[in-house]
Amino acid sequence: MLQNIFFGLSLGAVYSLIAVGFALVFNILKFSNFSHGGVMSFTAYAGYYAYIRLFDGHVSSSWMFFAVVTTAAVIGALTAVAIERVGFRRLRRNQAPVIYYFISSITLGILLENIITIFASSNFYSYPVFFSSDNLSLLGTTFSVADVVTLLVSSASLAGLLLVLYRSKLGLAVRTVSFDVNTASLMGIDADRVVMATFAMSGALGGISGVFLGMNYSLYPQLGQLVVKGFIASVIGGLGSITGAVIGALLLGIVEVALIGMVGSGWMPACVFVIMLVFLLVRPRGISGVIVQEKA
Amino acid sequence: MDYIYSILTLTGITMIGVMGTYMVTGLTGQFSFGQAAFMAVGGYVSAMLALRFNLPFPLAAIAGSAAAMLAGLLVGVPTVRLRRDYISLVTFGFGEAIISVLNNSAQLTGGAEGLVNIPKRVDLPLVLGSVIGCLLLVACYKNSKYGRQCLALRSDELAARSMGIDVNRLKLVTFLFASAITGYAGVLYAFYAQYLEPGYFNWTVSAEWLIIVFVGGINSLTGAMVSALILSSLPELLRFASAWRIIIYCVIVLIIINYRPNGIFGDWEISRLWKKSAKGEKA
Amino acid sequence: MRNRGFLVKTLLVGLLAWSSAASAGEIVLGNLQDLSGPTSVLGNAVTRGAELAVDKVNAGGGLKGDKVKLVTVDTKGNVQEAIKAFNRLVDHEKAVAVLGPPVSNIGLAIAPIANEKKIAVLGSFIDPRVTVQENGEAQAAMFLIQPTSTQYAEIIASYANEKLGFKKFAVLYDQSNAFAVSMLKPFKAYIEKRGGSVVAEETYTKTDKDYRAQLNKIKSAGADVLYIPNYTQDLVITVKQAKQIGLNLPMVSGLDAAPPFATLVGDPEAANNIYFANNFSDKEPQLTEVRNAYKAKFNEDPINKAYLGYDKVIVLLKAVELGGGASGPQIIAGLAKIKDVQGTTGVISLSPKTHQPVGLSMVMYKIENGKYSEIGRYVPESHK
Repeated sequence: MLQNIFFGLSLGAVYSLIAVGFALVFNILKFSNFSHGGVMSFTAYAGYYAYIRLFDGHVSSSWMFFAVVTTAAVIGALTAVAIERVGFRRLRRNQAPVIYYFISSITLGILLENIITIFASSNFYSYPVFFSSDNLSLLGTTFSVADVVTLLVSSASLAGLLLVLYRSKLGLAVRTVSFDVNTASLMGIDADRVVMATFAMSGALGGISGVFLGMNYSLYPQLGQLVVKGFIASVIGGLGSITGAVIGALLLGIVEVALIGMVGSGWMPACVFVIMLVFLLVRPRGISGVIVQEKA
Repeated sequence: MDYIYSILTLTGITMIGVMGTYMVTGLTGQFSFGQAAFMAVGGYVSAMLALRFNLPFPLAAIAGSAAAMLAGLLVGVPTVRLRRDYISLVTFGFGEAIISVLNNSAQLTGGAEGLVNIPKRVDLPLVLGSVIGCLLLVACYKNSKYGRQCLALRSDELAARSMGIDVNRLKLVTFLFASAITGYAGVLYAFYAQYLEPGYFNWTVSAEWLIIVFVGGINSLTGAMVSALILSSLPELLRFASAWRIIIYCVIVLIIINYRPNGIFGDWEISRLWKKSAKGEKA
Repeated sequence: MRNRGFLVKTLLVGLLAWSSAASAGEIVLGNLQDLSGPTSVLGNAVTRGAELAVDKVNAGGGLKGDKVKLVTVDTKGNVQEAIKAFNRLVDHEKAVAVLGPPVSNIGLAIAPIANEKKIAVLGSFIDPRVTVQENGEAQAAMFLIQPTSTQYAEIIASYANEKLGFKKFAVLYDQSNAFAVSMLKPFKAYIEKRGGSVVAEETYTKTDKDYRAQLNKIKSAGADVLYIPNYTQDLVITVKQAKQIGLNLPMVSGLDAAPPFATLVGDPEAANNIYFANNFSDKEPQLTEVRNAYKAKFNEDPINKAYLGYDKVIVLLKAVELGGGASGPQIIAGLAKIKDVQGTTGVISLSPKTHQPVGLSMVMYKIENGKYSEIGRYVPESHK
């Protein structure tokens, strides 16, 4: 039982990184950013190539993980900023309805996935082993070092993010813009810059999740389709709420693992659907309880 | 010629599927992210009836569409009460759920290996006829009292409600209608391709249909149809670019979304050509 | 703004008129593969292998003076797309035969069209329904170059049961993947017929990435061995997570455990005690030439699907010779006569009754501490 909860939590930790990257953009532009999946695939490969071309043999193995994660985060941030520039800047200028952002983001996601397919799709690749693969055990549960690192890095990046959001000027600006873009611009906030910064943060998180996915699983172009888990988690969590997304992701992880135990993996999506529906009917505000103001 | 025929037939089927998406998204502004699941329901139900009970094609087709409508009822009743963003999640979850049910009932559906030996009953003329028939239905619906109410609903739900429009009922009726039409697209697909597999109906298909509707212009049925015609044959036309074709496709879509913010057609409808005095047309 | 729409339309009409009909003295082979989509890695590998074979034939002056041209079209791993692409290959590119994808779903979907058009499709779709209809007759135009899932699963089951002495099996497979599902049923049937039993049957689906809950159930089921007939990327997760939860069962799998699998796992302790059946032996001399050519051209090691791509071209061209000409029906007739053709994956003979290869044995391998060791070719008693 305890073991299963732990499995659920560590799965949820992976989901939560995805969900938060997702929720950040929702927070500001109020749309589900499916290009995030593309960013994850892209950075997973970028991290791998950085390892092969730059670091292998130059960086000591204990620092390798941080070197790769940092590179991936930086590349993720740059990719996300580029995506914002190409896919969303003009839409914002045109005051296009939110749905257009969504369409644009799906298209960009497909685009990124296919760019990877063209350049790196004749073989499978994998990251080197960063950590000892020995098991640790605690209170009758076993887990791996990679699990612990995943949990630690997820928590650290989320903490860092919350710090930026709630303790810095930029964070204040982000929160203002998320409340109302137009008013924020009137107050002298450079909305473009804030949106860009948000995308950069989201992209950096995407980069980190990309490396984790590549490290825990293996590299293939469709890796980023796990973004749907982030989508579910962040919607359940309360749209746009960061803490809600984290709780939603952890819950999703635990529920999935529990359902596999009870009904088997085959029926899991059907059960998740029913649970989701019931939950949304009972608590239409999501977990966080904050509702994003929607005036149609 | 078979090549052109197969493109036209499959494009026609996509057009019917897109009509469903157009109704849900274009008319009521809901966001169906699992529309392809209704296609799966229509296709699988009709094909299984034909295979296991030797039901003749027209009856199987009706049963397929009806089953899709029933599925629409199941999803629609709870979802119309939800906020817009949640509807995309719930329809998405529904799509995944349908796929998992299909994979799990392998004795009935063939599971992941797919359902084979479906008789071939659909050819190009039937698909063309169906496209025209469905188009007329949808166009009538759009111009009916319901259609106008939908437009009001989409531009401002609160205002529509205060005008006395039963918003939830309207959404449900439209959703059911759309499900039946999408289900019918599934029927045509099953009896054309002679093969069904659950994996085909995942959310990426629904997403493609959404892209088509937006590229065409969310307010325009004509736009949705023309864009379905262009975008679903575009990847074929781009075959010369081999691996790059999907990239080019995406770039074209991005350009249109960015530079034609109301889609190719905006709210223009082809019926204006013969209805010069379209006073009430302006949405 | 109206002009832009016009421009787009003109462009489209222009593209439609784009034609590339075959020129005289040229044999056009279609190559229908998943270059994008979920199985793109496999499709790209097949394509590269096929390109090598075509290059080699053309460098040697072509087939009796006729140049061979390979036209590759993408299916996106999508049935609808595959139907269009197949029609394109036949109608537009004038392909006389088609190299099929390593995916059974697409094979099943194009079988009726290929039969009707009398264009041979030689593929590695291992679901027997692609090549043999329900009434026992062969699908006229569909040919398989690899053992069927039934033969394949039986070879693995027989080896595990008779050679290794395992009785109680656990299974973990991808329920949304036709390949995995088709490898499960015959395996189970064989084991049960032999008095063995399947004590745990766990599934996952495409988007699941954590199998620890399933593996934990398997751990408590008391099985001797775990059967995992899944794609490579899933196998990597399976063995890593099995190690994490301390599941020490031996495992048996299909050719997806072939290199680079153990390197992908990167952990000798996890990639350990795994038996699998491959199409060919790495040591066989005929592979070396292709591997070196592949490395020289693409700068990486080929995965085994590349050899299948290579062989498909070789066999199809042989069928042109045997059938007496490069037309659809002639190649179909020729394929039915294929006997003892030396390919990279073995000596290939196709049965005219089932259109499936006969006598193709599999080579058993064992992975121990991340190292591959070859056990040798294996044919179960019941197949002899």
